[in-house]
Amino acid sequence: MLSRTAEYLYWISRYMERAETTARLLDVGYRMSLFPNPSGYNNEWESVLSAAGAIEGYKNKYDTIEQKNVEDYLFFDESNPSSVYNCILNARNNALVVRTSFTPESWLAINKTYQEILNLKEKKFIKSDLPDLTEWTIEQVNLFRGSLSSLLRNDGYNFLFLGLFIERADNSARLLDVKYFVLLPKPQYVGGNIDNMQWSILLRSLSSFRAFRWAYDGNITATKIADFLVLNNNCPRSLSFCIQNIVKHLTNLTCSPEKVGRIYNNLKDLNTKIQEEKIETIVEYGLHQFVTQFIRKISSVDNEIHKEFFN
Amino acid sequence: MYQSESVIRNHYNNINDWLDQMTSKVIFEKNAEAETHFRNIGITFSTNNETARERIIPFDLIPRIFTYTEWLRLERGVIQRAKALNAFLADIYNQGEIIKANIIPKEIIYKKKSFEPSMFGFSPPRDIYSPIIGIDLVRTGPNDYFVLEDNCRTPSGVSYMLENREIMMRMFPDLFHNNRVTPIDDYPTRLLQTLMSLAPIKCENPEPVCVLLTPGPLNSAYYEHSFLSDQMGIEMVESTDLFVEGKYLYMKTVDGPRRVDVVYRRIDDDFLDPLCFNPQSVIGIPGIMDVYRTGGVNICSAPGAGIADDKAIYIYVPEMIKFYLGEQPILDNVETWNCEKEQELKYVLDNINELVVKEVDGSGGYGMLIGPKSSKSSIDEFKTKLSTNPKGYIAQPLLDLSFSPTLIKNEVKGRRVDLRPFCLIGEQAQLSSGGLTRVAMNEGSFVVNSSQGGGVKDTWVLAE
Repeated sequence: MLSRTAEYLYWISRYMERAETTARLLDVGYRMSLFPNPSGYNNEWESVLSAAGAIEGYKNKYDTIEQKNVEDYLFFDESNPSSVYNCILNARNNALVVRTSFTPESWLAINKTYQEILNLKEKKFIKSDLPDLTEWTIEQVNLFRGSLSSLLRNDGYNFLFLGLFIERADNSARLLDVKYFVLLPKPQYVGGNIDNMQWSILLRSLSSFRAFRWAYDGNITATKIADFLVLNNNCPRSLSFCIQNIVKHLTNLTCSPEKVGRIYNNLKDLNTKIQEEKIETIVEYGLHQFVTQFIRKISSVDNEIHKEFFN
Repeated sequence: MYQSESVIRNHYNNINDWLDQMTSKVIFEKNAEAETHFRNIGITFSTNNETARERIIPFDLIPRIFTYTEWLRLERGVIQRAKALNAFLADIYNQGEIIKANIIPKEIIYKKKSFEPSMFGFSPPRDIYSPIIGIDLVRTGPNDYFVLEDNCRTPSGVSYMLENREIMMRMFPDLFHNNRVTPIDDYPTRLLQTLMSLAPIKCENPEPVCVLLTPGPLNSAYYEHSFLSDQMGIEMVESTDLFVEGKYLYMKTVDGPRRVDVVYRRIDDDFLDPLCFNPQSVIGIPGIMDVYRTGGVNICSAPGAGIADDKAIYIYVPEMIKFYLGEQPILDNVETWNCEKEQELKYVLDNINELVVKEVDGSGGYGMLIGPKSSKSSIDEFKTKLSTNPKGYIAQPLLDLSFSPTLIKNEVKGRRVDLRPFCLIGEQAQLSSGGLTRVAMNEGSFVVNSSQGGGVKDTWVLAE
């Protein structure tokens, strides 16, 4: 397989995953905007922009934070590299180059999505359309993921899923962090009902709200949620699940065992640690510190994959 | 389709019945279905006037039909021509017999930009310079076919030939039950066989490794590049994926370097090797020409093959056929005046109202004048151009291209068509059983180029 092909496959699934995360964040913002805004909390749209890593870009373009502009910026804006539009555009442009390396269905799924978002963009949207847009995005991403199930289980497949789980690990970790430091209410609210409401919104943004209910009994607590999103191997968005899958798809690669070995060596400590760790220890150590380290590690693994395979 | 005013040619009877039973609602729906299909699979193109949205070529539902005997003659004629063009290239890059025999003056060969001096004295595998040749044909009477031009570099359009057939079979399966249409879907396999049969002398692989070299996604034929490499199961590479080491060419893969034997290139000569051709070029593979000349890799088509489809060389193709093959040409050339020659230029200027004037290096239907259809001011403009730069132009009579029934706003109208079949030459010479039929969608128009509002049709060759 061409190095460039591997790189493009890796990025296609990163972009598709990112499109979904951005859409889910918009959904969270929309949901929060329907609740009364309690004092002591940041503006929900500002939180959404921070979580999407788009606050700086947004502020360069707009003076005030308004729902309509945030929606437009995160969904359609061509100047925002993480907008759903740009993610789909980039995924499609990459897919155009490597369409020979995956199934015609995968190409169709991405290209149809692209054709439709062009239509949506031409027509733009009216306010009440946002849930439709986010739902549409999630559907399209699912269509793409579904099409991957008929792929040959070769290196191309593994590069696609490496990209997916690297992106997801990063997104989950950032959302978790954002909950603590951007959505963070004043100290007296911690553990209160409003705080829990925001945690549950975080779960929704990770498409894990109902899953959490099934996995844990009783009240929603910060510790349970942290356990669920960091350590629970049954939760497909938890950090440990992502790491496990990164290891799996990395070690399944049949090309260049020595390259795989080098990357694995860098990753295996984190994998062992996250499989054995207790959530209480992490909380005591500081969730923010833990997550920050995790994000740094994922980014170094991403760098190594680029260095070893794509150059 | 019609023999005379209203007599339908036999082999179109089935199609006529089929058209009769389609309501305009069905036609409308099928047109929409075809358009959606082409957009979804991404068979789009861009033109010189770039707009944000990619365009698709208008597709006409009514197929163009050739009988077995009609096709047999075209097949022999096109293969004959393709062989002569390759023999010509082998000759002018070596002994130059045709020049010594005073058939073609040497100035018009050696002074052309498309002549490649670095090819002198080198012979590619099997002496094949141009393994894929597209010949543009027009029909002006029941058995009168003329060659409009030859395409010896990297002719495009074959993906349309294949996709037009796919969509027709998908939308109208019954048509294919009731008509014996020769299949064309083995073209990519034959193309791959052709490329593999042209492996370089130093190739050690029993199954030569072929790649398709594309300029990248911005190229207007990019869909075709990915389509063909997919169908052949070979890598589509850009020049940055390739590099030269020692006396071989390699591609960069996740396993490390992999040797490449045959490059089916879809980029121009100028961008092949910055060390040999255009030193300003940022694309290209430094050193590939050295590997090529020492038999480490084959490049298809060969650098410098473009001289064979030059419009000034075109005039001599019938002579080439006689000279190299000792045969009479099966297909005729269109009568052509070479404005470089004083007498012919005078004739062209005197009769410009009746003629089509073309730039020697022009393509895509740009830079031409259709005398009978042009205003006095544009005719005057071309007269000035001709007088100041006569060797930049040729002139031909305006051919009365045949009409083919075409659906225009749900009604069947006659529109002018041409045809580009694709000839492959490697271990053997063969012609696709069909080709790309282009149709001038505008009433009265003679220009079939997609960049100027042309459309395409499925092209049928009926089995014996």
